[in-house]
Amino acid sequence: MEFKDYYQILGVEKKAEADDIKKAYRKLARKFHPDVSKEPDAAKRMSEVNEAYAVLSDPEKRVAYDTLGERRAAGQEFHPPPGWDAGFEFSDTDFGDIDGYSEFFSSLFGRAGRSAHAGRSRAEAKMRGGDHHAKIMIDLADAYHGATRSVSLRGAHLDESGRVVTQDRVLDVQIPKGVKEGQSIRLRGQGGAGFGGGPAGDLYLELHFAPDSRYRVDGRDVTQSVPVAPWEAALGAKIEVPTPSGRVEVNVPAGSKNGRRLRLKGRGIPGDPPGDLYLELELALPPADSDKARKLYETMAREMPFNPREQMGA
Amino acid sequence: MAQSNVLCGVLLEEETLTIEELARACAVAPQWVVERVEAGVLGQVSIAAGEMRFASAHLVRARRLAFAERGFECNPEVAALVADLIEEVEQLRRELRAARSAAGRFGQ
Repeated sequence: MEFKDYYQILGVEKKAEADDIKKAYRKLARKFHPDVSKEPDAAKRMSEVNEAYAVLSDPEKRVAYDTLGERRAAGQEFHPPPGWDAGFEFSDTDFGDIDGYSEFFSSLFGRAGRSAHAGRSRAEAKMRGGDHHAKIMIDLADAYHGATRSVSLRGAHLDESGRVVTQDRVLDVQIPKGVKEGQSIRLRGQGGAGFGGGPAGDLYLELHFAPDSRYRVDGRDVTQSVPVAPWEAALGAKIEVPTPSGRVEVNVPAGSKNGRRLRLKGRGIPGDPPGDLYLELELALPPADSDKARKLYETMAREMPFNPREQMGA
Repeated sequence: MAQSNVLCGVLLEEETLTIEELARACAVAPQWVVERVEAGVLGQVSIAAGEMRFASAHLVRARRLAFAERGFECNPEVAALVADLIEEVEQLRRELRAARSAAGRFGQ
């Protein structure tokens, strides 16, 4: 286990005042909060910052950490000496979900450390494990057909004897047909392990669709761009379109303009009621890359009086 | 992997959370949830058998509110404003992505 320098993580001096620590935390919380951050490892950094702040913002824990951390450097191999926290009194405040924090934090301030000093009744108390949260990316097709997705999770928990165990686990999770962007799946008992025989917490998986330039999703309605040739749009045509629910034949009405939306009722994301699929026509121009193609364009230019800038007053 | 090892969760919407469950998922007290509902910052809440019920959107929003209140010691109204802005940014980012991909298809 590596020693974690919480001062370094928050970017403050060891003698920093409580107010400076709070300011540093807020600045980093703004920078790394996964909802707004553009940093690739925002969630991981935010977790580190939260952990550092949980210790340094609490005077009792900070004193204990400072004492333990004298002459230690970040990354240095570290094992807390037995009974290291004797003589320190920790308030019975809620640490929140310690399972989201590092093994280093848990070994110092986890429930095992507290219960060791808290007497029989506390040590034997049943505690429910914390609820965990994770985001996973799925494909739009998964919402149409359902799927099984593997989710990799890393966490630390306390075993029955109160020791900290870090655990990597891969869960195979059924993604039900009909899920919507941002919807959560609750997996009972898959969160943090309980303590003293208490039940495990739950795991909430927040589902998001992986960006796909072909589709836009709004609730259960899906918009799909469909390229069409100028003659298909102008003269009308029956075209075949691959959609998330399979290939469909669609009539493009004569005289369609660029951006026209064709609604296929009930072919959006399945549900009760199912969403609709909107096909948005995009005019694709054939390249003038041969003599024949150029001649056809020249014929059109000559034979068809057409001013695309008419509305601009040109 | 054997089929039996695949975990089947429950979609929030088909099953909704009670006040206690939402509070636990956000590491807050149930009273915190009640106060946010009464203040109107958690959005429209459904009632089933005389109890408030919460779905996916409430869970996401409640976690955001709790984060803002804890991290910045701000009052619930400011936290709600932060959550509103985050939701607005998310929506604009989605639209921007869609517009950019459309522009890419047109070769612009």
